[in-house]
Amino acid sequence: MRAGLPMCIAGAISFGLLACVSKLAERRRCNPSALVVWLFAWATMIMLVRSLTLSNRVPLTWPVSAIAVVFGICAAVAYLAFQRSIEFGNITVGWLVMNLSAGVPALVSIWVYSERLSALKIVAFCLALLSLFCLFQGNRLEAREKTASQKADS
Amino acid sequence: MKISNKTLWLLLMLIILLTNGMSAFGLRVLSGWGLPPNIKFPYLTVWFTAGFACIGIPMLLRRVKAARNAAGWGALTSILSIGGQVAMANALNSGLPGNIVFPVTVGGSILVVAIAGKFFFAEKMHPLSWAGVAIGFVAVILLSVS
Repeated sequence: MRAGLPMCIAGAISFGLLACVSKLAERRRCNPSALVVWLFAWATMIMLVRSLTLSNRVPLTWPVSAIAVVFGICAAVAYLAFQRSIEFGNITVGWLVMNLSAGVPALVSIWVYSERLSALKIVAFCLALLSLFCLFQGNRLEAREKTASQKADS
Repeated sequence: MKISNKTLWLLLMLIILLTNGMSAFGLRVLSGWGLPPNIKFPYLTVWFTAGFACIGIPMLLRRVKAARNAAGWGALTSILSIGGQVAMANALNSGLPGNIVFPVTVGGSILVVAIAGKFFFAEKMHPLSWAGVAIGFVAVILLSVS
């Protein structure tokens, strides 16, 4: 348990650096589609090696494969959208929205699996909505200020 | 039809909201079916292959070159992504409860990105956007705890 907390911090730094490296790639004019393709290609290879070296392999059924295909496409589209968004949007906002998106499967889970809707979850969903409102309004105001300063310059 | 950057940004945020969270929902479906835990490795192999094909095939059809520098950036992001997952799994295996592991990892990553955005990438944000980040940070922590 003592090693748990440093591991959590290592995980946080690793995920944070993932977003920062994506921004650095964007600044070096790396093609967003190419970056996502390579990200998924490397990850496929790592997972393939891991799957083949399992001591007790589990065979894949068609329903499991179908689910993997649908949600894998979702993941690729999401990362491509994030990579495109940081070309002209803030990385902090993009990364926050990536994490706020965890609320969507939580809602679907409540609906599909009849999971309990706790008071904590209700507060979290309300705060997420408020946050999105502030982020979208903030973005609108930033764009307005930028246009005004460009007009003043010209 | 030309879309303004503002509209495109809003559209991309909506796509991220709807697709990124749902991408992990498959693991919830698998756990609902009561399949053995080892299924996640072949499942993730197909998951990554589908993502690769979904972006790779249109690129191939449009003859977009997957530049060599992208291979390096892709490798780095892939290592960081898998490294984060492994660190999180190790933290859970060490006996630390999930209601500590998930908020620290997810909340911590947002803090790292916010600090880098402000001081390293020199991004300017409206105070309302900063308020949104602060509220969103609390929301993400609560979602991870719950």
